[in-house]
Order: sequence, then C-alpha cells, then structure tokens
Amino acid sequence: MAIKKFATATYSDEAVLFDAVKKTRGEGYKIHDVYTPFAIHGLDEALGYKVSDLHVAGFIYGLTGTCTALGFMGAIFTTWWPQNFGGKPHFPLPAFIPITFELTVLFAAVGMVLTFCYLCQIMPGVKKHIFNPRQTDDKFVMAIEVNDSNAGAVEGFMKTTGAEHTDVQVAEADWWYGLWSNKEDYEESNNTQTQEVI
Amino acid sequence: MHLKYESYVREALVDGKKDYHQVTEDICAPIENKPTKLWRLGFLISLSLLGFGVFSIAWEVWLGTGVWNLNRTIGWGWDITNFVWWVGIGHAGTLISAILLLFRQGWRTGVNRAAEAMTIFAVMCAGQFPIWHMGRVWDAFFVLPYGNSRGPLWPNFVSPLLWDVFAISTYFTVSLLFWYAGLIPDFATIRDRAKTKFRKNAYGIASFGWAGSAKHWQRHEYLSLVLAGLSTPLVLSVHTIVSFDFATSVIPGWHTTIFPPYFVAGAVFSGFAMVQTLLIITRKVLNLQDYITIGHLEAMNKVILVTGSIVGVAYITELFIAYYSGVLWEQEAFRLRVMGPYWWAYWAMMTCNVVSPQLFWFKTLRRNIWFTFFMSIIVNIGMWFERFVIIMSLHRDYLPSSWSYYTPSWPEIGFYLGSFGLFFTCYFLFAKYFPVIAIAEIKFILKTSGDKYKEEMTPIDEQSEESFIEEQAHHH
Amino acid sequence: MTNQNFNIPAKAKTVSLVLMVIGALAIIAGGITMLGSDHTATRFWASLLQNSVFFLLICVASLFILSATSLAQAAWIVAFRRIPEAIGSIVWILGVIVFAILLILILTDNTHIYPWLEEGHIPHNGRNGLKHFFLSRGFFLFWSAFTVAAWGWLGHKISDISLKMGKDKEGSVKLFWKNFNYSAAFLFVFAITLASTIPWLWLMSIDAHWFSTMFSWYTFASSFVSGMSMIMLWMLYTKRHGNLELVTDEHVHDVGKFMFAFTIFWTYLWFSQFMLIWYANIPEETVYFKIRMHGPYSFFFWINLVLNFVTPLLILMSAPAKRNYFVVSVVAIIILFGHWIDFYQIVMPGTVGADWHLSWYEIGVVCGFVGLVIFLVSNKLSKLPQIPENHPYLKETVIHVS
Repeated sequence: MAIKKFATATYSDEAVLFDAVKKTRGEGYKIHDVYTPFAIHGLDEALGYKVSDLHVAGFIYGLTGTCTALGFMGAIFTTWWPQNFGGKPHFPLPAFIPITFELTVLFAAVGMVLTFCYLCQIMPGVKKHIFNPRQTDDKFVMAIEVNDSNAGAVEGFMKTTGAEHTDVQVAEADWWYGLWSNKEDYEESNNTQTQEVI
Repeated sequence: MHLKYESYVREALVDGKKDYHQVTEDICAPIENKPTKLWRLGFLISLSLLGFGVFSIAWEVWLGTGVWNLNRTIGWGWDITNFVWWVGIGHAGTLISAILLLFRQGWRTGVNRAAEAMTIFAVMCAGQFPIWHMGRVWDAFFVLPYGNSRGPLWPNFVSPLLWDVFAISTYFTVSLLFWYAGLIPDFATIRDRAKTKFRKNAYGIASFGWAGSAKHWQRHEYLSLVLAGLSTPLVLSVHTIVSFDFATSVIPGWHTTIFPPYFVAGAVFSGFAMVQTLLIITRKVLNLQDYITIGHLEAMNKVILVTGSIVGVAYITELFIAYYSGVLWEQEAFRLRVMGPYWWAYWAMMTCNVVSPQLFWFKTLRRNIWFTFFMSIIVNIGMWFERFVIIMSLHRDYLPSSWSYYTPSWPEIGFYLGSFGLFFTCYFLFAKYFPVIAIAEIKFILKTSGDKYKEEMTPIDEQSEESFIEEQAHHH
Repeated sequence: MTNQNFNIPAKAKTVSLVLMVIGALAIIAGGITMLGSDHTATRFWASLLQNSVFFLLICVASLFILSATSLAQAAWIVAFRRIPEAIGSIVWILGVIVFAILLILILTDNTHIYPWLEEGHIPHNGRNGLKHFFLSRGFFLFWSAFTVAAWGWLGHKISDISLKMGKDKEGSVKLFWKNFNYSAAFLFVFAITLASTIPWLWLMSIDAHWFSTMFSWYTFASSFVSGMSMIMLWMLYTKRHGNLELVTDEHVHDVGKFMFAFTIFWTYLWFSQFMLIWYANIPEETVYFKIRMHGPYSFFFWINLVLNFVTPLLILMSAPAKRNYFVVSVVAIIILFGHWIDFYQIVMPGTVGADWHLSWYEIGVVCGFVGLVIFLVSNKLSKLPQIPENHPYLKETVIHVS
C-alpha cells in the first residue's frame, strides 16, 4: 500500500508512444509503467524489460508432472497394488505414457497460469488504479512517479512527447481488494485529490 | 516498433473503416445492449432441450442403464458415439488458437474466442456421456486415483478408458485456462466501459484487476505462447487417446494403427464444421460481419477440405489394408460396414465426409455463405456417422447367435438432445455476456490487416524491392 | 540488393565429387565382391534401396513444405524458398535412380528384398485377391513410374514458376496463383502416393505378411523432419558463404520450430504405431517389432528414439537454441543421421535379417548419395537468383518476426 503521485501522459497511437518512451528514457526519467489496450511487440524491449522467465517455470512444473505421474503409477503397480492386466509387465511403460503426458501438460499449464497471476498480482476481487479508463480501449498511457516539487516539470516534459493529454494524479501504486463500482475505496480521503480524467 | 505491413495479395481481416475504438464499440455492443427477442427465444429452446435431457438422464439413473437399448454385443451405442462426436467437435478451438499460431494464420484472431468457447462447451457435453453411462453414477469418483478406504484398490492405469479420464479433464482444464487468460484483458475493457454498477462489479471481478501494464502484457504473451505450445500436442493427444479406446482392443475394424492421427484429423474436421455453423449465425445476429469475414469462412472451408481429404485417405487406407492383410475377420468387418445391415451409415459417412467436402475445391462455393452453412451441417452429420459406423462394428461378433441390430431408445435420444441443450445454453450465455471476438487480438492485427490501414500500404507496395530491403536493413 | 545467383564455394563441389567417387567405388567394389552369392547380394541391394528411397523422400519433403506453405499463404519461407525449390527440382534425378533400382529388383525377381515376388509367398485364396494385384510386378512398376514422374514434373514446375515470377513483374500475381494451383496438385498427388501407396509398395512389402495402416504416415513424418533439417543445413551453409541476405535469425527460428514440432509429430506416430501393436499383442503384428526391439536390431531400435526424439526435444525446446546457428546445425545433422537409421531399421531386418552390416559398403553408399545430393543441389543453386524477386510476399518476409 503506497499512495503516490504520478504524472501521466495519454497517447492515441502506439507509434507516438514508442517515440515518447524512447525520449523519456533518454532524458533519464524512470517510467513507472505504461498501459496499453493490447500487447505491443517490442514495447518491453523499448522499456528495457528483461525477457520473462515464465517458460522456465513452466518447464519445471511440467517435469514435476512427469515425475508425479510415473512415480505414482510405478509405485502403485509395482508395490502397492501389483496386478496382472492383460499379461502386461508391472511397469508397462508404453501404457503409462498417455497419463504421464497429460499430467505433464496439466502441471505445466496450471502452474504457469498461477505463477502468471502471482507475478502480475491479479486475482478475482483485486482492484488497481486505472489512470485512464480508455487505456483498455484505444489509448496508451505512460505514468511517471513524481513528487510535489517536480510534478509540474515532468508534466511539462510529457507535453513535448506528443501526448494527447497529460495530468497529475494521486493514486495507489499497488493493488487492493474492492468493488469496481466504488470509487477508489482504498482510502476515501484521497478521492478528493484524484483528478477527473477523460 | 515493427513496420505494419501486409502483402497486397492478402484479403483484409477486418473490413470497414475501423480504428481501435470502433473495434471496442462493435464487439462490446451485444454485451451492453439488451438481449434481442431472437436471443431469448433461442435461449428458451436450449433450456427446454436441456430440461428434456435432464429428464432422460434422471429416468436412466432411476431405472438403470437397462432403459438404453444396449445388448449383448453392442455394449456401446449412441452414448459412446455421442461422446466421441462431442469430443471431436471440441478440437477446433484449441487447433485454431494453438496450431494455427504455429502456422501464422492471421485469420485465427477473428474466430478463436468463439471457437475456444465452443471447445469448452463441447468437452462439457462429451464428459456427460461416460459419466452417465456408469449407471451407478454416485460411484463415479472411483475413477480417481487417491489413497482410499476401499482397501488397496486403485484404478487400472493400463486401461485406455482411464487414460480418457485424464485426457479429457486435462484438456478441459487447459482449454479453460487458455481461454480465460485471453479473456482477462477483454473483460477489463468491458469493465472500464461499464455504465451500470452490476456490470462494473461483475466484469471487475472477472477481469482479475487487469490494468494493461506493459510488463503484464509481456508475461501474458509468454503465457499464451507456452500454453499454445502445450496445447498443440495436447489437442493431438486427446483424440488420440479416445481412438486408443478402440484401437488397443483386438476387435476387427477397431484395432488399426492409423486410428490416432485419423481421429485427430476427423476431430478437427468436425470441429471446424461446428465453428462454421455457429459463427455464420453469430456474425449475422451480433452484426460482426466485418470481423468474421467471408475470407475467414473461406479459410476454414479450406481446413475442412484438407482434413476431409485426410480422413478420406484414412478411410480408404483402412479398407485397403483390411483386404491387403489377408485376415478374414478384418475383411468381414469391412465388408459388413460397406454392405452389411448398417450399409446406410457407412455410405452416409463416405458421402458427407469424403465426397461432399471436395466441392470446396471451387472458390465460389467456398465463399458462399449458404453453401458453407449447409456443408457444415452435412459434415457434422457425416462425422457422427463415422463414430456410429465404427461402434456398430460390434453388431456381428464371432458367435452368430449373438448377432443383433441396435436402435436407440427414447432416453438415449433424449440424452443426446439434452447435450445440445447444454451446449447451446452455454453458447447463448457466452454470446450475450462474453466478448465473442478477442478484442485485444483484433487490435493487435488491426494496423496490419485492417481494411482501413491496408489502403495506407500502397506506397510500400509500390516501393521497389531493392530500396525496401535496403531501408529495412538500415532499420535493424 | 544484389540479386546474384547463389555463390557456392568451389570446395562444396570438390567435396561432393570426392564423396561421389567414394560412393561409386563402394558400389563397384560391392558389386564385384557381393553380387556373387545371394546372401551378400541382398546386402548390396538392401543398402541401395534404403539410401535411394531415403534421399528421394527427404527431397520430396521440400516439395511438401513449399506446397503446404503456399496453400497456407505463409510468407516466412519466401526469404529462402530457393533452397527447397532447388532441392525439389532434383527430385526427378533421385526418382530415376530409385526407379532403376526397383526395376532391377523386380526384373531379377529379387525375392530376398521383395519376398512377394516369389510365386506362392502370398497364398492364393479368396482373401488375397487385392494383395496379388497390388503386389504384382506390373502394378508395382506402373505406380512407381507414375509417382516418380509426377513428383519430378511437379518439382520442376514449382521451381520453374518461381523463376518465371522473378523475370515477370506484371505477371507475378498471376504466377503466384498458378503456383497455388500446382501446390494443390502436388498435395493431391502426395495424398495418393507418399501418404498412402508408395511406402506400402517400396518399404512395407519387404515384410510382405506384415501390415500397419500407420506405416505410410510414419514414413512421411520421418522423411519430412529430415527434409526440414536438410533445408536448414543448406540455408545456413549458403548464408555463411555470403548468400541469402534476407534470411535472419527469425527465419532460422521458424525452420527450427518445424524441426522441433515434427520431431514430436514423428515420435507421436512412432508411439501410436508401436504402442497399439504392443498393447494388442497380436503375433502377426508384433513379429515386426520382435526382431527390432529384442532381436539383433535392438541397438537401432533404441538409438532411433534417442537420436530422433530425446535429443532434438531437449535441445530445441528453448527458443535461443533455435536461433543459434551452430546448435541447429548440429541438431539437423543428428536428425538426418537419426532418420537414416530409422530407414535402415525399416529396410534391413526384412532383407538381410540378423546378419546386418554397417561397414565400408554401407558407409560408402551413404557417402555417394550425400555427395550426389550436394552436387545436384549446389549445381542447381548456382543457377538460381538468391532472392525470389516480385514474389508478393517478399516484403513481408523481409520484416518477418518469428
């Protein structure tokens, strides 16, 4: 929970956003975040983000699934409950492949989705500050954390990056639980400071 | 940023003068408007079908599976036919999302959401059949492997029927996750547009608090890519395992090694047909012709042509190898298929699945909506008959005294109708409350494949190849 | 943009000539020492059959990928489509070689390779009528000739259309759609030959009593993944010598994806065929795997899986590996070798039986065929402009991102 002040700039085209990101980082500003209505290839690079390791996690989850399936089926059929099924050996590997494969995929997929939700801090009931309600529609929003002294200067700079609209907002930088129909209900008193956005 | 360019020989994937906002407006409109009369009527019909299905199942559970017309040789009838049929239909969604991603088919963005939804509903319908076939359905949990109080008793992991349990439940789970992962950003879009309190909260919860952060989009892309990579072999595995139900046996006509890939091809075939049926209606009713264009339908018809031909090769392979094998029982099984008591089913299958899709060699027919709609129904009838033909191989066994002929009883038919009820109830709810087209994905391709933006590409098309290559080499 | 013809280093030609000479010497020496007795003559012919069919089918794979991507309207392949075109246009030469070998086998009634040539090997009874027709000298030769002619002609035609497109800017879109039609025609021919009848005739009939409906699709998967690996090797080799300026890491990545995906596909078909036969445990079917898995071929049985499944799967799983020229080259060589082994274990058990060899003769024959393919493809490439000019997807392929 941290209430912070942000200067935001809204762009109406991703090409403009790219140049703005480049310029902003070139000027040495630290970008808090960029919000876009859809995935934009190359934006992560432009923002200097590292490559995600999500797939490595997926590989490990998958391997866990493989071992779980083979381990359990092997233990059950060789030790706990050895039976003769159609004259097959007690560890009939070809017949174990289908279930092993399914569990590999299941573990990898479920594990990755949960990891994704954890990393992005998203969950049913989670609420986050939306700088511009059209950032999930057709606008591209860049936010830079500011303090009282440099807010004006940063906003001024943003105006030079081709922004369609700029403003300064006080907002929760993190997430909180709440109903989306309520106003920013993390701290009622702050609502007065939140400026109306387009 | 990469150059947004697409060759002039390609058809636009989004017709009309759409910008990003217009895309949102168009796709959200059905959700934000009141349901139409047509929708209410359709929904009511689906609900009553579902009700009849529930009644048929209740009848069967109360009186036992004896109310079905199964007999000594035909232990599997409509029930398993419908199971395989529905599972097959549930293959197109994942194929569109996953395999077409590998083959870089841009047109998948227009249809993947609805196709994936259809996948999930079809798998739900399919799952009903083996469950209610158990008879004592309250013991259904016996298929699950867990340390239990039934003594040292475990399921048989060597049985293909148990593989099915794992395959179908994994497939359902992963498809659901894949589908929902794609839905999260679109729910956020609807949430931020919502005018009513209820809608704001409902879509707020459904959107998991998505805000569209660049870092989150990066992870989302990775997630989608890996899930697509996982789903590709998964979708193959599911119908493969269904085919193992038959092919691991030593029943003539069932034990054949080509079954796995041929079942998969058939599943894709029927899945696409069902997507066509639904989308042709959906695009009209929800006014989405600009997003699901004739080009999309044509592309799917091509897939139907290809998979129909693959299935055709497989049918003929089966038939040929039966005679090549020199095994009397194989030959007899196929002779009975072609000209035995169920000859009509075999020829219905051949006509619907192999012969009629060949009409899609003609471009005019591929692009004809009415013909496509008609064919999509034909294909699904054909694919139902394919499963029926395979299963009805049981009507003759080695003991002539147990030869028989099977026709379904009313609870079996009721069950099947009920599965349609379930399917369409789900689909109607989906079409009303969910974005039927992946909003974010359409925006992603809009500036490359949108009609409006393609006009702006003329200068690039007219540029000489030499200077274009030089310019791009400079960029990198 | 300088659209010169491919510049193949003279060394490639020298190496290919040396390899061909080795091959020719091996065949001549083999002919002198082996053709004397039935037993060694089988070894002589079995190796020729295995190699000629293997190299023909991996070249046909180029036609398949060209046709499939044309119909799927894929742009990524355009940057290097001259490579599969060159490979596809030599199909007729390898086809003629295969046909010549088959012709000799049939005319000399080589029952050690094709036991069905022996009268009565397939009993004459009411159940075998179709089999007698299918495995008859006349049909065998007729269908083989048709297949080789159709593949060869379409291979030439597809390359030809592409070349014409480079010279005809106005007509390029028309030629583009013409290529579309020829691609569809190839896939039709493919369905009735490689995807069904041809592997039955050429390979499955070696074990004349055994049958598997999967066999042809399995053979196709094996040859296709090898074919993609061969395209990869040619692409990287020519690029290293200053050709194919349009090919970037993105294109290499895409071919790598195909190698990876079809490795899994091959394994899938392998497993399905094996598991179903293992599970049902019908003696007529398991006999095929008995000699391979537990008999004298068990080494090949397992190494087949290691080379063709485990190795490519683990190495190519990560994206950076698919973009690393060295790694993908090594994997491509492993895949090609692995599937050569796959064909080896298809052909040998039914022909030479327990007495298998992997000695000077077999190695010599491989050298000969490798040399021949290198010679023919590099010769063809040196006559082709590197960039398929006027191709409607050319600009797309330049900006292609994997």
